Amino acid sequence: MTQPQRPGHEVDPKLLEILVCPLTKAPLSYDRARQELISRAAKLAFPIRDGIPIMLADEARRLTETELNG
Amino acid sequence: MQASPQDQPDTHFGYRTVPLDEKQTLVDEVFHKVARRYDIMNDFMSGGLHRAWKDAMVSKVRPPQGARAFRLLDLAGGTGDVSFRVVGAGGAGTQAVVADINREMLAVGRERAEKRDLSDRVEFVDANAESLPFADASFDAVTIAFGIRNVPRIPLALSEMRRVLKPGGRALVLEFSRVDVPLLDKIYDFYSFRVIPELGLRVAGEAEPYQYLVESIRRFPPPATFAQMMREAGFGRVDFTLMTGGVVALHSGFRI
Repeated sequence: MTQPQRPGHEVDPKLLEILVCPLTKAPLSYDRARQELISRAAKLAFPIRDGIPIMLADEARRLTETELNG
Repeated sequence: MQASPQDQPDTHFGYRTVPLDEKQTLVDEVFHKVARRYDIMNDFMSGGLHRAWKDAMVSKVRPPQGARAFRLLDLAGGTGDVSFRVVGAGGAGTQAVVADINREMLAVGRERAEKRDLSDRVEFVDANAESLPFADASFDAVTIAFGIRNVPRIPLALSEMRRVLKPGGRALVLEFSRVDVPLLDKIYDFYSFRVIPELGLRVAGEAEPYQYLVESIRRFPPPATFAQMMREAGFGRVDFTLMTGGVVALHSGFRI
């Protein structure tokens, strides 16, 4: 019999409070559905993989114009 | 026009001189290769001494007993070793954030946190020590054990460490130093250049990462020079303690 899986890793809300954009140090917004931390100032979306925020500019996704204007 | 490699500042990868942006890639490869066996190798190479060195650092972090909130940032702390010790030494209000640039090391650390039932008190973030993703004044203490010499631009990391500390918060840097005891220095040289790469090959299956380890230790500035770098980064009440005949130095500074 397999053990029930732990619920998917969620980022701790207390950690979200102190996380900022590593480039601009501006606050981030949390896109829970996409598991991304958005830095509008740097126009980057930092992925959260398996509950671990990947705060490296090299690994971030560039925000589209639509996203920036939305 | 593309910048030629000659235009870029250089740094050191062990005894080789490499372009600054290449160093991070080379260091990453070293730790990708050794992540799983990292703590076991530390035991082998230091004869278990790394535990005593880390405990000395933890006792200076001095996390509070009881429920009072205390937050540690452990840089380059991927496998969680230092964070688990600090959380274990502190009360229920003590929490730690592990930041490491290497995902394999973080994965090993998170797995261990779950096994020890510490997932609620130790968080993991993939981050570069030169540009930390934390708000100013977020932490009561910042530690980095045997990690600072792998950072390409150390002054940047030191100033980031100071920025994220609360006023009155303490930074502790544990790093290999220089042995200056007669005879012990000869033994240390032999051990470093002959024994450690051989151990790396036999225990972790890789000699080259450990060759890098030994060379990078020798390139690291002596304690008085490093203390000066901490002062230049704005730290106050800077001092250091040598341990085991100068094999390692524990540096300390406060954000005043």
